[in-house]
Amino acid sequence: MAEIKVDCIGETCPVPLVEARKALRKAKQGDIVEVTGNHPSSKKEIPMAVRAMGLEVLEIKEEKGTWTIRIRR
Amino acid sequence: MGCKMSGRRIYLDNAASTRLDERVLETMKPYFFDTYAVATSEFAYTQGIEAREALDEARGILSKALNADPEEFIFTSGSTESSNMALKGVAQALGKKKGKHIIVSKIEDFPVLHSAQSLERQGFKVTYLNVDGDGLINIDELRDSISDETILVSIQHANQEIGTIQDIDGISNICREKGTLFHTDATHTFRRVPLDTVKLPVDLITVSAHTIHGPKGIGGLYIRKGTPIAKWMDGGFQEFDMRAGIENIPGAVGFARAARLVTYLENTRMQAMRDRMIDRILNEIPATTLNGHRQKRLPQNVNISFHYIEGESITLHLDMHGIAVSTGSACFSRSLQGSHVIYGIGGDHERAHGSIRMSLSRYNTMREADTVVKTIAEIVRELRKISPLGEESHG
Repeated sequence: MAEIKVDCIGETCPVPLVEARKALRKAKQGDIVEVTGNHPSSKKEIPMAVRAMGLEVLEIKEEKGTWTIRIRR
Repeated sequence: MGCKMSGRRIYLDNAASTRLDERVLETMKPYFFDTYAVATSEFAYTQGIEAREALDEARGILSKALNADPEEFIFTSGSTESSNMALKGVAQALGKKKGKHIIVSKIEDFPVLHSAQSLERQGFKVTYLNVDGDGLINIDELRDSISDETILVSIQHANQEIGTIQDIDGISNICREKGTLFHTDATHTFRRVPLDTVKLPVDLITVSAHTIHGPKGIGGLYIRKGTPIAKWMDGGFQEFDMRAGIENIPGAVGFARAARLVTYLENTRMQAMRDRMIDRILNEIPATTLNGHRQKRLPQNVNISFHYIEGESITLHLDMHGIAVSTGSACFSRSLQGSHVIYGIGGDHERAHGSIRMSLSRYNTMREADTVVKTIAEIVRELRKISPLGEESHG
């Protein structure tokens, strides 16, 4: 089981979602994809999209405007 | 992973490319494995003669679909090549003899638009006609724009993004009166909207197989007998010495079969789905605008702007739900460029970037249409909640 980190700091909507999708497409079942960014809308829309895909959002955390979303493929 | 993890996907980007019909593939197969020779004259071997006969039969079927003669139909690699051939071929044939003026509309698809721009760089003068809020050109503006120097008018039959069908009858007759050649890009109307070369004085028509469940890489150009057009790609003497290159026989027979498989009933079914989707979206989702003419419209085209949100976001979220659509907010190389068509009909940045095109096909169902509307409504509601412009929305 691998852990894939995606750095989207400085990127605006919809790039973080595109990068998250790209990582999830490459990930194997059970892998963890961790997306980090600081665009506020992306923090809301990535979990929304991930749930629509039937995947599990493990954790969402934020510190000083930088958020991290952990997703299990 | 198709993004949605399971379940059937719904494909609504048929203006870009359609699923190949199995019956088309079956028709093509013998020309890959048995009759794979080049088309030859009757003095050569049997395989080549059979290939020639298949090519001629395909040409006959496709030219008949336009009520034209077989020798007026040239096979090409697709609509891009056909439109390049039409514009550049006529420019080369008449540029020095008659004049250097060409007229196109502002909302043409790229093969016509970029060919016109390329000719402009070579010293031709190009008039880009305005369109109204529905995407229709002004006939009087066209008439006033044609001069003695005008060698070609190229106005699409229907628009690739918003589906508006132009008044080809009026346009072609003005061109004929003024003695100017007329080309129309019928990529999206071929076999969907009638186009008869006996009834209408159209001189050149671009068509393609990829929009009617045929193979990619094959298209055609109708060239009315006597139309001055130069051969613009050097090579062999194929296609009446108009278009060099080994003939794509499997593609040609596949294109002909695809054309025959399109029925009036199928087009009527798509139109019913189109109307239901448009009516439901406009009635059920606030702050939406239909792009294109409500009635003079391709039976397979739905195009709507969802205000306060980006088309890319809607497209991405629909993909996560297993639904494929396209947006006028094309994220080319990550530099956001709004649709030139939506700008052309007077739309602003927000309308261009919030536009979604849904193009139907033989394989879509009314149930799918309803699923798509329901899913879009949910996504738009959620996206508006998180949109920076969300407070302005009514959703």
